[in-house]
Order: sequence, then C-alpha cells, then structure tokens
Amino acid sequence: MMAKQLGMVIDADSCIDCKGCMAACKVANEVPGDNWRNWIKDGEMDWNAKGKRRMVFQPGNCMQCDKPTCVTACPTGATYKSKADGVVLIDRGLCIGCGQCIKACPYGARYRNDKLKVADKCDFCRSRREVGLEPACVSTCPTKARAFGDLNDPASPAGKLYAAQKDKAVQVVNAESNTDPNIYYLGAPGNKHWPVKAQMPSAFTFWKNVADPGVKVLMGLMGVGVLAMLGKQLVMKNDAPEEHHGEDGHE
Amino acid sequence: MSSRQIPRHTRAGIFIHWFNAACWFFLLATGVALISNPELNPLGAWYPKAVRAVFMGGGNLLVAHWLVAFIWLAVWVVYLFWGMNRFVAPFLNSAFTIEPNRDIQWMIKKNLQMMVGYKMMAKLVKPLGYDGTMPDQGYYNVGQKLAAQGLIFGALALVGTGFIMFASKYFLTAADSWLVQWSITVHFIAAGVTTALLILHIYMAAISKDERPAFISMFTGTVPAEYAKHHHRLWYDELEDSKPSEVG
Ligand code: SF4
Ligand code: SF4
Repeated sequence: MMAKQLGMVIDADSCIDCKGCMAACKVANEVPGDNWRNWIKDGEMDWNAKGKRRMVFQPGNCMQCDKPTCVTACPTGATYKSKADGVVLIDRGLCIGCGQCIKACPYGARYRNDKLKVADKCDFCRSRREVGLEPACVSTCPTKARAFGDLNDPASPAGKLYAAQKDKAVQVVNAESNTDPNIYYLGAPGNKHWPVKAQMPSAFTFWKNVADPGVKVLMGLMGVGVLAMLGKQLVMKNDAPEEHHGEDGHE
Repeated sequence: MSSRQIPRHTRAGIFIHWFNAACWFFLLATGVALISNPELNPLGAWYPKAVRAVFMGGGNLLVAHWLVAFIWLAVWVVYLFWGMNRFVAPFLNSAFTIEPNRDIQWMIKKNLQMMVGYKMMAKLVKPLGYDGTMPDQGYYNVGQKLAAQGLIFGALALVGTGFIMFASKYFLTAADSWLVQWSITVHFIAAGVTTALLILHIYMAAISKDERPAFISMFTGTVPAEYAKHHHRLWYDELEDSKPSEVG
C-alpha cells in the first residue's frame, strides 16, 4: 500500500470563477489583509475549444509538492512534509518568519502572515480536517470543481478521479524546477506557464556555499592545531629554559 | 610550590566567567539544534532530532534558546552598568591595547613554542632577529587579547542578529525579510567563529599545562606570584610597584 498523499484533482472546466473557494478559505483560516491561501488564475479565452468559445479558469493553492523547494529553503525545519499524509506543514512555534520559504516556492503559494508574523499557506484546512471536515474551498465550491482526498486511495474523491484519469491529468509546473505537485488538473486549465523558477534566497546560498564550509574549515584547523599542541605536550617534556621555570615546576 | 599567591580575579569576575560559560554552552547546544536542514545541519539530522525530543518540540527549543539568551543579556547589562568603572573599563582597556612590536613577536614565538617546544622555537626565530625568550606581557597576553576581541565582536554580532530574528516574530514585516534572512547566516558565522575561539580557549586553559595556574585562578581568584612573573611580567611589575589593584 502506498503512503497517504492528500491532494486535489481540479476540473478546470467546471470552475466558474465565482471565487467562493477564496472567500471560504479566507474566513475559515483567518487569513489576514491582502494575503490569500488559494487563487483562481486569471481566465483566458480558449480559442481552440470546440463548439462555443469560453473563458477557462485555473483554481489553485499550495500544491503539497513531493519535492517541495519551500522545505529545502527552510533552515529550521519549521516547514516540513508530513509523513502521515504528505501535506506540507508549518510549525508556527519553530518558524521565525524569515521568509526564505516564501521566496523559494515557484508558485507564490506562501505569504508572511502579518498577524502571526510567521510563514503561512494552504494546509488543506488542517484544523477542519482534524474534526472530520473537508477543506473549506472544497465544501464551498458550487460546481464541485475541486476533488480532494488521498491520491493513493481509489476510494477517496480525488483518488478515484486520479486513478481513472491519470493519463489526462496535468500538473502545472516550471520545467526548470519541477517540484512534483500533488494538484492535478482535468479539462483545460488555461495558462500552464505562470510558475517561476524556484529561487533560493541569497542569504541561504551564501550560508550553504560559503559560511558553512568556511566554519567547518575553521573548526577543522582549530581542532588540528589543538591536537598538535596536545600531542606535543604529551610527547615532549617541558624544555623551557631554566629562567622560565616557576617555583611550581611550570614555566 | 610557590606559597605566595596574588589576586587576579574578583568574585564578580569569576561569577560572570562561569555564568558566561554556562550560557554559551547552552546557547550553542540549542542553537545548533535549531538548524534542521539536510543542506546545513552541522552535525547531521540526528542531533536536532535528539535535542528537540528532549525539549518536546522545536518550538519549545526556540523558546528555551531565547529565554537563556535574554537572561544572559540581562545579567550582562547589569554587570556592565554596575561594574563599568571597576571591571569593564579596565578589561576593555587591557583587551584592546596592542603593542605591535612586542605582541607580534610574542604571537610568533608562542605559537612555535606550543607546537615544537622552547629549544626548537629559539632556533627557528633566530633568522628573524629574535632571541629565544618570550617578550613580557601585561595582564593579558596578546593571544588572550585577540581571543577577547574576537569573542566581544562575536557576542555583539550574535546579540544583534539574534535580536533581529526574535523581532521578526513580533515587530518586523514582510519587507524586512532580507534582514532576517541575513541575520540567520551572520548568526551562524558568528557562532562558528566564537566556538572556534572557545575551543582554543578551553584547550589553553583546561588542558595545556602551561596555563594551568590561570585555570585554577578561575576558581580561587589568585595565581602564584611566580606564574604572574613569568607569564604576565608587565602586570606583575605594576603590582609590585603599587598595591594589588582589582582588575576584571
Ligand atoms: S506549492 Fe510551494 S509552498 Fe506548497 S509545497 Fe510546493 S513549494 Fe511548498
Ligand atoms: S519563514 Fe519559512 S523558511 Fe523561515 S523559518 Fe518559517 S517556515 Fe522556515
């Protein structure tokens, strides 16, 4: 049996851009001010659609990636991928709000929560799930465009769709930094090229490439120096000249 | 055994030294455990995991780190104000007074002597025009002075960047993120440099035979007169010329 991986299979064709999911999420998760945990990417005309031309919409949110660059960028491990259900979570107690993860997400899924002063993003409504509810966006969607559940469980709404439509379902990614998202789209999701290349903050790359090796070299040199002195102390007897000997026998 | 002991440290000085040592050790141990990223872990994943288990979670660990940092800082602020004239100013004065000729010579000779012994050192420094004797040193030798300077700047960097990271969770906004990000990196570097200095300090004080009396004085407050005479001649002469004074 494969590990549990919560995800969504979103039928873009069903989305009517009512933005009910965005409003429901904002209320359910007390998302402050200008911040949003989910989005509907601007509609575009699908000129190729057979029959009548129409706008297409692409609902989205944090994709709970399998190779999350936000986790790679977090120094403290406050951002981590849950082993239990594959959701990428933020330990608010441990997060210092440095925002390295915010920059590192290719989808702009994260924001700095101005009230909590920590990084924040969609967690598939963790608090609602804990009491047996679906994510707010899923419950509220009038057209049921968002199917949610364990992608590896064919009995869950998302898993059922995923199993049936695997070949047709698409991931929206930046080719250079494919984080392997767990949000799949059915139908015509419109613009697939908005994700950007994942960017590691310069403070992080400097730490990793310069500061960390530098400190290790320094420690190594200090360790070698101290060992050399210790070796000398153990091997050589005190050869201090007479006038340097104290009354207690030390130099 | 020399029976005559001369005072070197006050009780306040001894207290702040060991208080400092305890706080630094705790802050280092918890600080390293706060880094949990496979690309950055100084000791590997097991360490943050183990320490977080002890503190029952990374959030608690962070709070403990802050708590001790603030206690450390608070005690230091009190010490700085209360002891400014008696301890702090004289300490800074001796730590930051460098006499280039004497001190460079001492550094070269001391390093050689620690590595290869006195006889070899005497031979090696001859081409430089030096004889084999150590130049006299004051209350602190130049190695101690440089270490003190490094530790002072390291501490200032740690306090400054630590405060920015703390402030990030209470005052700062998204626009200040770059400052917080660089603070983490600089905090790491400052901690690394001070730890390297402390390794040397601990070796010199607790393991090297040469400085054993200095180590003991960190408990008793006194050093044998003979030790002072040979290791800190300038200070010793000063003391002989006047009555023993209280220095940090
Ligand atoms: S979408 Fe962004 S925030 Fe969400 S898991 Fe992927 S990289 Fe992290
Ligand atoms: S802001 Fe992001 S990178 Fe920084 S500690 Fe919090 S979760 Fe980690």
